[in-house]
Amino acid sequence: MTKAILVTGAGGVGKTTVSAALGVKSARLGQRTLVLTVDPARRLASALGVGDELGSEPEPHPDEPNLWAAMLDASLSWRSVATRHADPDVADRLVNNEFFLAASQHFPASQSYAAADQAATFVEAGAWDIVVVDTPPSAGGIDFFTAPAQMADLVGGRLLRWLTGGPLPGRFLYRRAGRPVLRIADSILGSDLLERVAEFLLDLRTTYDGVADRGRQIEALMGRATILVVTTADPAPVTEAARFYRELPAIGGQPAAVIFNRSLPEEWIGFKPPENVARELVENLQRWGAESLRQSDARTEFAAVNHAHVSSIPWQPEPPNDLDGLAGLISSAASMPASVLDPGEI
Amino acid sequence: MLEKRLLVVSGKGGVGKSAVAAALAQLATRHGKRVLVIDMGESAGLSAHLGVTDLEFTPREVRPDLHAMRLVRSDSLIEYLTLQLSIRGLSRLGGLARAFDALATAAPAVREIISIGKVLWEVREQNWDLVIADAPPTGQLGSYLRAPLSIAELVPTGRIQRQAAWMGDTLANPAVTNVILVNLAEELPTTETNQTLEWLERNDLVPEPTIVTNRLVSALAVKARGEGPVKEAALHHQAVYAEQQHWLERLTPDVSLPYLFGLLTPSEVAARLSEEFEAHL
Repeated sequence: MTKAILVTGAGGVGKTTVSAALGVKSARLGQRTLVLTVDPARRLASALGVGDELGSEPEPHPDEPNLWAAMLDASLSWRSVATRHADPDVADRLVNNEFFLAASQHFPASQSYAAADQAATFVEAGAWDIVVVDTPPSAGGIDFFTAPAQMADLVGGRLLRWLTGGPLPGRFLYRRAGRPVLRIADSILGSDLLERVAEFLLDLRTTYDGVADRGRQIEALMGRATILVVTTADPAPVTEAARFYRELPAIGGQPAAVIFNRSLPEEWIGFKPPENVARELVENLQRWGAESLRQSDARTEFAAVNHAHVSSIPWQPEPPNDLDGLAGLISSAASMPASVLDPGEI
Repeated sequence: MLEKRLLVVSGKGGVGKSAVAAALAQLATRHGKRVLVIDMGESAGLSAHLGVTDLEFTPREVRPDLHAMRLVRSDSLIEYLTLQLSIRGLSRLGGLARAFDALATAAPAVREIISIGKVLWEVREQNWDLVIADAPPTGQLGSYLRAPLSIAELVPTGRIQRQAAWMGDTLANPAVTNVILVNLAEELPTTETNQTLEWLERNDLVPEPTIVTNRLVSALAVKARGEGPVKEAALHHQAVYAEQQHWLERLTPDVSLPYLFGLLTPSEVAARLSEEFEAHL
């Protein structure tokens, strides 16, 4: 059975680097490992052996046995929903619809849904011992987990039921007459906007069974996955990380650990420098020592408030850009749960 | 900046956008302005930087002449419907507002026009010398700034269509509006800010934005020497400085704000940044 590791967290915290590092480390433990990443920096893409041609098909690494990498294509978005779950003529209307185009931009869950769908497909394939998924950062990342249900809800249509005034319709049943609320809406929005929205939603409604079934499969896979939350000690990503601990249990998930990336050394805190050191250097150490203390406090508080297993990866002057550097990142981590990369431990 | 009527503060998530919005609000109040600052997002950032626990839709005076509110879309819509249509009866309005909210997930620009519309309404009503919007992050900023135009294109008739025109004019007026993009001298924020600048230039919806780059360290006056933590911290500082200088070359800020070290509360951060802005005036 394939074990999925979902690496989540706010954008800009080094989530993609940590995902790649976990993948390399896992491959070096002798496990067939696939890393699924979103929009990696060039140096990471080349470290993972995917070079410039970032395909959505897994490529074996030229120099690292057991390691594969592929890109998640978040831009597939609703287009794939339409083409997979709707009749060809309906799909054609959908992808060319102005609301469809707007909805795919306005509804970040659709991108997350497409990414979760692709990731689930690779886990189901059973060709790897471990699949590491670098989740897309849209809407703080929690979207990746709620997207299947959100999609089914939108497609299944509370709005549509409201617009059509009842349970569901054959072809076209947008009924303005006799519904004062719709008349008011029309006077604000202009007549026919709601009618066009209703038409779009009726087409979208035909994908409901497909989307809902697939959503349940994806959720089941997520429920069995190991979830890691990556953050730095900055307040904004810490707030995002706390959301995972607060909201995931409600949808059947529980993070295995939070990883504080780019942690400054604790020895800097309150360090007494020797007498003969230049004043500027002493003051510099005091400033960064205060930062290290702030980070340490943030980790302690996070563990206490969220009942979290806290791990930390030390700050490095240069981000790792090769396989050894990536593997070293995981080796240097403090308190990483050993079970994370153990395929038997699901 | 303080001569405008509306400051729209945006930036990539985590760059200190809410801290800058709170700092500018304090600065303007010190200069005798009557200020309304609006939290357009769902984060608790702005209220923390203002030193209050929570904000509501109804503006509240958090310190003399500094009023703050949180934009709640359903409240905003109910207010709009009450003012515009003279509809009474909250139960009916509540249902309508919920339905609009659902509509906003599918119909382009409806969600955005309800939010930005409230901000622009406050500017138009002239209850304040200055309105400061702690706006959505840059990833979504474009759809908010473009909302009046999108509505005008999408809806051929109707009341919103007529109002979209003055909203667009207000945003485009350089005497009224200034967009402030908060940035960090790091790869992802600078790339995103540059993309936003290109988009804004291409779409020409607002006057040229002001770039505020936050959390800049200054050069270490001496060479990294010694051993152990003294040398490590010096090397760390130099690496951060070099990285920041690299990204500063790719985007030159109009205002530079310093890295604030150590344990400061969010309201202390806002107060310190407001002094930094003062020095820039």
